[in-house]
This record gives sequence, structure tokens and C-alpha cells, in this order.
Amino acid sequence: MTNASAVEIEKKIEKIIYRTALALDDNDWKSWFDLCDDAFFYSITSFSPEINKKMTYFSGNKKELVGLMDMLPKHNTDHSPLHRHTSVYTVEVADEGQSAKAISSVTIYQNMLDGINSHLDSGESRLFVIGKYFDEFKIEDGNPKFLSRETKLDNRRLDKGSHWPL
Amino acid sequence: MGQIVTNDGQNVSGSPKNDSLNDTLKRANEAFIKEQQNIFKNVWVPVCHESELLNPYDFRTSSIGNDNIIICRAPDGKVNALLNVCPHRGMLIERRPQGSFLEGQASGNPKRITCMFHAWQFDMRGNCVYVAREKEGYQDRFCKDDAGLRRLRCSVGFGGFVWVNMSDQPVALLEEWIGGALSPIMRQISSSPLEVVHYHKEIIQTGYKDEILNGLERNAGLAANLFFPFGHFASHNADEKTVPNGENKFPAPNATKSVKVNLFPGYIFHLSGPTLHVSTITPVSQNQVMVENRGLAPTSDSEQERLARSKHYNSIFGPFRPLKSEGPTPNGKPESNSPELSKHYNEEWVRWMEKHYNENGSLTNRVVAQGQKANPNLESEASGPKVVVVGASHAGIAFADKLRKNNFTGPIAIFDRQVGGPMERPPLSKGFLLGGGEIVESKSLLRQKKWYKTNKVRLKTQSIVHSVDTKQKTITVNNGVVVNYDKLVIASGAKPRELPDTVGVANAFTLRQPSDANAIRQAANNADSVVIIGGGYIGLEVAASLRKKGMVVSVIEAAERILARVASKPLAEHFQKLHEKHGVNIFTGIGVDKINHEDGIFAGVVLSDGNEIKADMLITGIGVFPDSKLAADAGIETQREDGGAILVDEAMQTSVKDVYAIGDVSIRRDQSLAVESVHNAQETASIAAAAITNNALPAIQTPWFWSDQYDTKLQSVGIVPVGESDIYQVARPGKKEGGISFWSYRDENLIAVEVVNDPATYMEARQCLDTKQSPDPKQISNRSYSPIDSGGARS
Ligand SMILES: Cc1cc2nc3c(=O)[nH]c(=O)nc-3n(C[C@H](O)[C@H](O)[C@H](O)COP(=O)(O)OP(=O)(O)OC[C@H]3O[C@@H](n4cnc5c(N)ncnc54)[C@H](O)[C@@H]3O)c2cc1C
Ligand code: FES
Repeated sequence: MTNASAVEIEKKIEKIIYRTALALDDNDWKSWFDLCDDAFFYSITSFSPEINKKMTYFSGNKKELVGLMDMLPKHNTDHSPLHRHTSVYTVEVADEGQSAKAISSVTIYQNMLDGINSHLDSGESRLFVIGKYFDEFKIEDGNPKFLSRETKLDNRRLDKGSHWPL
Repeated sequence: MGQIVTNDGQNVSGSPKNDSLNDTLKRANEAFIKEQQNIFKNVWVPVCHESELLNPYDFRTSSIGNDNIIICRAPDGKVNALLNVCPHRGMLIERRPQGSFLEGQASGNPKRITCMFHAWQFDMRGNCVYVAREKEGYQDRFCKDDAGLRRLRCSVGFGGFVWVNMSDQPVALLEEWIGGALSPIMRQISSSPLEVVHYHKEIIQTGYKDEILNGLERNAGLAANLFFPFGHFASHNADEKTVPNGENKFPAPNATKSVKVNLFPGYIFHLSGPTLHVSTITPVSQNQVMVENRGLAPTSDSEQERLARSKHYNSIFGPFRPLKSEGPTPNGKPESNSPELSKHYNEEWVRWMEKHYNENGSLTNRVVAQGQKANPNLESEASGPKVVVVGASHAGIAFADKLRKNNFTGPIAIFDRQVGGPMERPPLSKGFLLGGGEIVESKSLLRQKKWYKTNKVRLKTQSIVHSVDTKQKTITVNNGVVVNYDKLVIASGAKPRELPDTVGVANAFTLRQPSDANAIRQAANNADSVVIIGGGYIGLEVAASLRKKGMVVSVIEAAERILARVASKPLAEHFQKLHEKHGVNIFTGIGVDKINHEDGIFAGVVLSDGNEIKADMLITGIGVFPDSKLAADAGIETQREDGGAILVDEAMQTSVKDVYAIGDVSIRRDQSLAVESVHNAQETASIAAAAITNNALPAIQTPWFWSDQYDTKLQSVGIVPVGESDIYQVARPGKKEGGISFWSYRDENLIAVEVVNDPATYMEARQCLDTKQSPDPKQISNRSYSPIDSGGARS
């Protein structure tokens, strides 16, 4: 593998992370899944200094996620859209360009629509959660696909109406 | 002020409609405070799980109501709960949610809880083990042994949870409180050690009660309900109609049974399939509650088992669980699919809020029985009749002391509503107010902690005695704890009179209890000026103390002179000059027409001549009235039908046999004037102790009293009948400069002596009055004339 191709892959990985953020902002699950390998595994975790343990708040493979997304309209979730701000901090390509890992920071804002009293609350933007994405990629023909994403949250206080994916 | 205008343009500011909105908000807030006081300070709260503080020196912080608490594991493995508030200045000590004291911190030594403010240190049991500059700063007035963190009642159990009760005297032991409520899941959750593997919290914008009642909706699918005492209930999806008695092991990762136990007022233990979910509430305001969610699993789980449980837990209780569309409830109100559950819960809530805790008698009996179990010391260590004292101040403590000195061996229990060890009252208007520097309250304790232990006197603070049943010979304390007595001694003292216009005004105080003095001291640290209404001893002592602090002090006395009810005219003139010399503005013969305040904060007073005095704080010292309501409500005779002091005979017994009254709350039937002094408290205590132990009643001494103002010490013996025109005073120069005494006579008979800065003369005066001698009034002004054995006998 030449240096140039490693740089190219890094660029592609940055792009795919940003494209995912856009797709998630738009609730465009299909575009997101298209960027994921069939073996994709997603989880939301957090470390709690209160109980001094790492916790898993949510986890599922691609099949389970697809099923859950299909169910979404039937669920009574908060309708306030989420907006992500992501910065890719590191990308490490390995295995002769066959795989890569990336760490990005993520801040998610909630633009209120429902709220307790939408008459007052709608339109306001609130900081929703902060954390980091730990992503793993499979690279085929120079094209990265998500193998896994762990969203490590700093929040342990998550008020009612929390929703996913983040 | 803003105006409130309705849609149709009407101005409703100040209209009854508008008032009623304010009233509703006020009532809601009052109810919230009452809930905190009546319910949360008295119930058993599962504050955390033992796995959150696994090792010695580990800790976890939490809060119950508005009290911050810390739970720590001692080196012997025992878990203790302590108030997380430093006894030095009341600062919050530990701020982290969880951690360990094993290693030293930047501001603390290893194995110690260290307060970052002045470095006082405590061990894992809350004992104070180090006070910075103890010897240099406090000499012998204070010892760290007296200054521990407040220990709270704490038990570990029922699946390894740490349960804390803020009350020193809970209505029931933990086991009694939970009763059978957790029995449907008890075998499973106690079969193997558990650990918390999941934690998240949420703030919900609704009152805690609505949150709990709303949650009953989510009981759908849990068909059978079981009801338990204290408002607990359980619902489950098993076939049995009775308590499901699960297997003696934690449910397997594929289990499907669901049993949900609601412990009053909002602690839920839900054994749902393979996981235990425990949610606890902490009310934040009347419309906000924090819910903490914990998921637990056996420590012995394999990775595979843990994963399966975690998936199940997250799908039902996790923060990213899909919320099922349940459809709105009609009119948005919480409507339970089990109205009996809401009813059961609400009935318990009403019982606590109205304190009808002995409503049907059954609970009262339970509590009595359990109370005796809970206090074995009382019954087993001592034998003889049981003496119960209401009020742990000068009279109550002196009484217990005398009783033991008279070789009384029965149990003695003293109840007081105050927080902390009983303190002397006299310093509260004197040196205490100057504190805030190095003066520590503990030097003013009436007795050190050891005294109670040595004398087997059980002191119960923060315990309000609500009623006395003289027929059953019981008193009821706090939330319905019933205590029986053979002899009851009421030493409930007196309460300061208040001016109605000052009630609810910030920075306006009266002074009686240590907490009042603390509040005054704190306010004075941020104030430049003070108005004191009342020129009696307390008013003048406070004036001297605050003047010493450099404040501008104005004293307003309605009578023609200061000390009008309690001292002779020449003594009052002496003190008036003393205060004026120190720069106090004294106004006599003038009333207060109006209390001014801005936004509820005291701003000044308008005098009856129209002049206004502006000041930052106000202290009202216009006398006291006996706190005799408890006795009057129990049918014990008081001076007047609507109150006054409790009438007692020469042995301090009230109109009811075996009920005695002592100190400021009592007055002998043959006495016309109540004496409110430490001496009277001690003397009446000695008499009652003698009567109860069948000893000869001690002789009544001439009353004495003292007062300290600046560097002037007043000692007085005998009572000056201030209103009587045939009384006259003769001044006698002191032995040293600045000393003087005023001898009050009726004809040739000595009645009382007031001595300023001359202790030797005070001793002589006391001897004269105790031995009924009257030195010659014509010669007493001569310093070389000795008042003792001068030949004058009193008639
Ligand atoms: C600031 C100040 C300075 C003073 N200075 C002097 C002085 O220099 N010299 C002097 O001789 N005297 C002085 N006194 C007066 C003296 O302190 C009192 O006379 C004395 O405290 C009376 O003692 P007591 O035990 O009768 O009542 P109190 O001291 O009033 O105590 C009564 C106790 O009963 C408790 N109580 C009442 N009802 C209940 C209930 N239902 N349940 C539970 N607990 C209850 C109260 O909390 C209180 O602790 C001073 C008083 C004050 C306030
Ligand atoms: S406040 Fe804690 S040591 Fe001073």
C-alpha cells in the first residue's frame, strides 16, 4: 500500500463519517445502512462514575436495527429533531489497507418540537448529549464500510424522551 | 408592579381570581415542604447498593429531601451513613458522587473524610479525628470528640441495598417497614450477591406522586395485586393468586416472570424476566422528580449471561428503549388500571401528611411493641419506673442529673425537638454571637456526650412530643411513635414573643434557641446596623455583642426606662450610661408603629413619633411566654384556660398525678411571679427529682441571676419588686474600681441586691439573703461597713 492510498482512505473515512451524520440528522436510515457492512454492530455505552462501571445502554446488529427502524413510526418517541456536530479526530488504517479505526467527537443538539408544552418549548435548541464515536471499518476495493460503531456517551442523566440512533 | 389583564381586557391584578392562583401555588409549595418533612425525613430510602462501595474506604454520596448524605464502608466492612455536612461551619464535605478515601486527596489525608474548608477530618464512622489548631485555637473549650458527623440510621439488606432513614426514631425498623412486601422476590434477590450493572437517571417534569401513579399504568399485564402495610404493594403476572414464592436462585437469562413491588412513597423493585430493575425517586420541587434507575445482575454471571440480561434490561428500562405507543389517557390524568393500587397508595400518603399514624390503633400498638424492641437499653440496662422528660435544656438536663445523683436506677429518656446536643442558653446572647471566628459551639454544651452514656440517659433530639395521654401514660413523638412513662416531667420552657408584623420578614429574628443564635450570627456577619426592640436583659446583651462587632445598634424600649420589668432604677441608669458610652442609641418611652421591609427583607422601623430608623436587621426581645400547649391540650391545669405557665405544687407536681413541670414552663401555685432563669430551672429540677425519688425536698434558695454586657458583669440575688413604690435602693461602692452594688430595701428589710463587677460583694449579699440578714440601710453605702453578721435580722 502506498502512502497516497492510505491518505485517500483516511479522506474517504472522514467523508463517510460526515455523510452518516447528515443521514442521521435527516432520519434517513436507509442511506446510513447503505454505508454499513452486513456484519455491522451498533452500541451506545457510557462509563458511570456513580457505580464505577462501563455500561451498555443500547446494542444491536444490522438486522435488529433495520427491524427497529421499521417499527419507529409505531413508537411514541419524542419528535424533536437531533442535530449532530462531529469532528473526526483520528483515523488509523491497518491490515494493509483492509481495515481502519476512527475516533470522532460528537455533540448532539435537540431542536425542540414536542417538549412538555410545545407552545413554549418548540423551536428552542438544547444540548442533548456529548460523547465520542469509536468506529471500525472494513475496506474493500479502497471503499470503507462501517463494521461497528460505539457511541460512548458522557451523559448518565438522560431525561424522558431520549431516542436513538445517536 | 406588573398588571394581569385577561383576554377580554379586564384588569384582574389583586382580584380574588388572581389571589387564588397565588394561593394555589403557595399551597402546592407548602404541601411539598410538608411532604419532605413528614414523609421523606421518616421513611426508609434505598439510597444505593452495596456494590457501589465495594471496598473499605469506598464512599457514595446521595441526598434525601434537602439533606446531603454520604455512605462509606468502614475498615471492618460495615456500611455507615452520615450527614455530609461539616459540623464546623455546616459546609458540604464530599462533592464527588462516588470514590475512595483510601488514597490521600489534594486536600485530605488517606483514610479520612476531610473537609476542604478548614481541614477537619473524620473517620469512616463519622468520628472527628483531627481539628486544625485544636489546642491553640480552642484550648480546653472544645474537644474533637464532641464534633462528629451526624450518624444516620442505616441497614444493608433486601438484595444488598443500603437503606437510610433520616429519623433517629423511625416508626418501624427496616424489617418491619418492608414487612412482607418484598417477599414475592425475596428468595431470588437474596440467593446470590448482586451488583449494579446499569445506572441512569432522569428528571421528570411532574410531581413524584403523579409519576408513581402514572407508573401504575405501566403495570398492564401484571394481573394480580397484593397489598402490604405502610402503603406498599406488589403486582405480578404469575398464575398464583397468592404471593409468588420464586425459586431460591436469581432468574435465568431467559426468564419471563414479572413481579413489581412498589415501596411507599416511590421505590420500585421490579424483577422483570432475567433482570432486577430498581428505581428510586428524589423529589426536586412540587413538579419535578429525579428518578434513578439501577439494573442489577448476579456477580457470578458469565459474559454471555450478562449480555442477554443487558439486552432485556435495555429494551424495557434503558434510556434508549423504544417507547410504546399507549395512547393518551382521557383528560391526560394518571388513571390506573388498578384503582385499588392508587387508593392504597393515597391512603398511606394521607396518613403521613395528616399524621394520623395511630388512626385505628393497630399501627400504634405495632410501633409500641417495636419501639421497645428497638431500644433494648432502656428496658434491660436499667430497672425501676420509667421517667420521660420533654425538653432537654437547663431544666430537663439538670433534672436527669439530679435524679441519677439521687440514685435513681430506672430508665430516663429525654426528648427535644432541637437538633444537636443541648446547649446552654445564656451564652447565646453573649459570646456566641461574637463567634464565627474561633469560638466553637461545643464549649456551650450543657453536657458532653460521655455524660449521657455514663448516666444512662437516653437523649432523643429532633423529636417533637406531639401529645400526652395522661390516662394511658403515654406520649406521642414525631410520626406516631408512642412511648410509655411512669413519671412524666414537662420541661418545655418558654417561647419568645413575636411582633405580628415581623413574622415572615427576612432578617428579623427572635432569640431563644441555638438555631436562632446561629441565624443571627450569620446575618450579623453581613449587616452593618441593627434595631433591637426591647430593652430587657436579652436585648441589651445582644446590643453589647453586636456593638462589639462594630455594628450601629439602636435599642427601642416602650417603657420609660430600660430593664423596667427586671431591675431597679439605679441599675438601669447604670446600664443605660454603659451602653451610651459604647455608642448604642437607646430610645425609651417610645413604641414601634411600623416594620418596614423591602421585598420581604427587613429595612427599618417607624417609631410612634414618626421618626424612622433604617437598619439591616431586627431582633425582637420583648419577653417570653410559657410553652405549655402540650400540657394544656392534655388537660393539665395551666394559669389560664388558654395557656400561661403550668401550675404545680411545692413538689413540682401538676394537677395530674405523676406528671411534673419544671423550669420556665412552670409556676408554683403560691407564686405570683414566674422566674425565668437558669437558677430557677436547676432548683425546680432538684425539687422534682427529690419528689420522684422520695427524698426530702431541698430548701428553696434566694433566686439569682447574671448578665454579661461588654466587660461588665452583673450578678443579682433576690427579686426586685420593680412596680412597688415602697422599695428603695442604696448604692454601695465596689471593692475595686468600676464595681458598685444596689441594695433594695422595703423599710429596713433587705429584698434584693444587684452587683456590678464585684463578685465578693455578691457572695456577701447572697449570704445575707439566704440567712435572712438585713444589713443596716443607713450604713451599707459605707465601704468599710461589713454587711455580714452586722446584727440586722430580716423581719
Ligand atoms: C439568649 C438567652 C440568654 C439568657 N441568659 C440568661 C442568663 O444570663 N442568666 C440566666 O439565669 N438565665 C438566662 N436565660 C434564661 C434561661 O436560659 C432560661 O430560663 C432557661 O433556659 C430555662 O430552661 P428550661 O429548661 O425551663 O427551658 P428552655 O431553655 O426554654 O428549654 C425547653 C426545651 O424544651 C424543648 N421543647 C419544648 N416543647 C417540646 C416538645 N413538645 N417536644 C420536644 N421538645 C420540646 C425545647 O426545644 C427546648 O429545648 C437566657 C435565655 C436566653 C434565651
Ligand atoms: S467547615 Fe469544615 S472544617 Fe470548617
